[in-house]
Amino acid sequence: MSIKARKLFVLSMIMLIVLFITACGNSSGSSNGGSSSGGSSQSGSAAGSDGGGSGSETKKKFKVYLSLSYSGNAWQNEAANIVEALAKTPPYDEMVELKKVISGADVQKQISDYQSMIADGADAIISFPISPTALDSVITQACEQGVLMFMYDATVTNECAYNVSYITAGQGQNTAQWRVNQLQGKGKIFMSRGVSGNAVDIMQYEGAMSVFNRYPGIEVVAEYYSDWDDVKTKTNTLKALAAHPDVDGIWAEAGEYGAIQALQQTGHKMIPVTGENSNGFRLALKNYANEGLTGVSGGSPPATSGFAFKIMMEMLTGQLSKDEVPHNIEYPLPWVPYDQVTVCEGSMFENGCNAFPEDKVQTSFVTEVFNKDLVPEISLESALEGKPTPGMTIQPIPKEMIKQAPDIPGINCTNCNPPEDLYPLNLELVRPFDQ
Amino acid sequence: MKPAIQSEVNKGLNRYVVFVYILTIVLIFLSKYISPSFGSFAQIKAILVLSSLTVLVALGQGLVILTGELDLSVGKIITLSGVLTSMWLGNGDENWLMAIPIFAILLLVGFLNGYGVAALKIPSFIMTLAMSMIIYGCILGYTKGTPDGMSPRLLEKLMASNWFGLPSPIYVLIVVAIAGYFLQSRTKLGRTMQVIGSNRTAAHYAAIPVKRTIIFAYMISAVCAGLTGMILVGYSGGSTLNLGDAYLLPSIATVVLGGAAISGGSGNYLGTVGAAIFLTTVSTIIQALGISIGWQNVIYGLMILVVLILYRKDIYQMLQHQLRGWSTKKQEAA
Repeated sequence: MSIKARKLFVLSMIMLIVLFITACGNSSGSSNGGSSSGGSSQSGSAAGSDGGGSGSETKKKFKVYLSLSYSGNAWQNEAANIVEALAKTPPYDEMVELKKVISGADVQKQISDYQSMIADGADAIISFPISPTALDSVITQACEQGVLMFMYDATVTNECAYNVSYITAGQGQNTAQWRVNQLQGKGKIFMSRGVSGNAVDIMQYEGAMSVFNRYPGIEVVAEYYSDWDDVKTKTNTLKALAAHPDVDGIWAEAGEYGAIQALQQTGHKMIPVTGENSNGFRLALKNYANEGLTGVSGGSPPATSGFAFKIMMEMLTGQLSKDEVPHNIEYPLPWVPYDQVTVCEGSMFENGCNAFPEDKVQTSFVTEVFNKDLVPEISLESALEGKPTPGMTIQPIPKEMIKQAPDIPGINCTNCNPPEDLYPLNLELVRPFDQ
Repeated sequence: MKPAIQSEVNKGLNRYVVFVYILTIVLIFLSKYISPSFGSFAQIKAILVLSSLTVLVALGQGLVILTGELDLSVGKIITLSGVLTSMWLGNGDENWLMAIPIFAILLLVGFLNGYGVAALKIPSFIMTLAMSMIIYGCILGYTKGTPDGMSPRLLEKLMASNWFGLPSPIYVLIVVAIAGYFLQSRTKLGRTMQVIGSNRTAAHYAAIPVKRTIIFAYMISAVCAGLTGMILVGYSGGSTLNLGDAYLLPSIATVVLGGAAISGGSGNYLGTVGAAIFLTTVSTIIQALGISIGWQNVIYGLMILVVLILYRKDIYQMLQHQLRGWSTKKQEAA
């Protein structure tokens, strides 16, 4: 049997692979069609920019690497797509050779990936770092070789790299204060957290607790790790609702749409929920506000990667000098209260809109891919497929938008002093109801 | 010694299954002391809804375990089916004919698993682990990281609806429990799997189609996992690349806790269903204790061990045997 059987087995394995490849072929065929049309419009706009007089001669392209941690959730892909779209937007399309590398969740792999990029003569590396501290020595190596290092969203402590992140913008305390205000300082709440031990989760949670602890009337009756995942948030919230059907509000990190689904599934009345930027959540805020879902949406924006990439490019091209760019750069916290959710008609955030119709994107799509000041070049297609926006050219960054972020030891610096108040409220966004 | 223990298990099986259910009911009753809203109809509904998906994956896993093998690819098969459902069925036109290629792929994956294990004698955990890596690679390549499309409207409505005051996942649970019980304990196929699991050589000599039956078990497992993936997409409103990861270990744990021997040959699907409900009850109650997440996990693990040691006669006897040996050694030393 064995030879025959083996042949049969190998044959069927090949069949399986062929099946997948044809399936892939179909989809990539369609996306090829899409990108070729994108390509033509791109060349059109490139001609336009030439006409505009930028007249760039053919010179050596900058070699830039994009190093991701893992791929597979909406946030990571959107962030990577934004960088890819910007690198194809004129005049960067003539100036940059961008290569994308996915390192996975293993920090050793990212270290060795950085090393090969340095050896390959990279001019710059833009990256989502897996660890704030473990990449330290390889980053030093890169800086010694003159490689410009830019990190987005997650941060590193090594001070020769640049961090661009919302992490210090106070997501935790501001959403928590909003929650407290809505409840007038009294009520039972759930806290749905992210990945345990992760610096972002700790910053958001501690920030929120710094507010909740000030109000003795606020009682945290359930707290669970949902790994920033919709399904886990839904499951955990269902369990918590079984124990505490009298809950008055939910404070959630990413995955917040699952909390809404749990309320719907159990037929629970809508209660205030605060969460991050998923499209499903924003639409729910709009649709159920009058039923009691009075929340606010604010959290980690994928557009951070685009902002980081543009600063990096301006440094490479000499538009920004070293003294103009601090080690830690703060990305402003997106902030959309329930009464300000507006659904977009086109594929950009225009006329104050900040969410998309439900047939356009998945509920888990992270809406904050736009920022009219920092990355006006980005459209919905850029975020979903990495394509440049037709007719768009790179706009310079307004220098006053490059704001220094506070130092936080172990998160974005090593030998540094934390600010006196680690979790200050942003009074432009929210004021305590009792002050 | 070993056969004696084996027969003990088989005799005590139904008593054990009843015990799992009684324990669950007692737990729900006692949980009133932790939270006054426990013991209510709402709590029971929540527990049943949360158990329904585990019960479905565990049906296929249970059949594979019954034949004495394991299926470690169920997690990735759930993801595969979920991703294909959102991409092919949830892309706007909702052409349900596209369900046919999805099921064809699921059956092919199950067939390859079974063929590798039964005909080529590849150890099942290697075969299915390799298969789950291959599946994951294919999904990652195909989706380039993010699955397009969304949950098909029909599925989403189905999973969110209530009939006669009960949420639809509870009906899934009831239908799967009855179907699984009949398949495993009342059909020829189920009994054949049991015979293969308890003594494969004997089954072979008794002219039982061993290979074919094992391949069937894997194919059923792949379809069960695939259906779970589809339901999960309806339940969660979209798919991600780690959709099924959380279901692999519970699928094995519930089968074993439900009274089946991990070495195959014995098992009762109603026990598996009971174990799934029991584990969900425990995790719901622990979460309400309001203690830190670390301790919650410790208590959860301990509960599983205590139940296994007290009421799985074979494990209990083994432990007694060990303790006796230990104490005689101590006496001899004295």
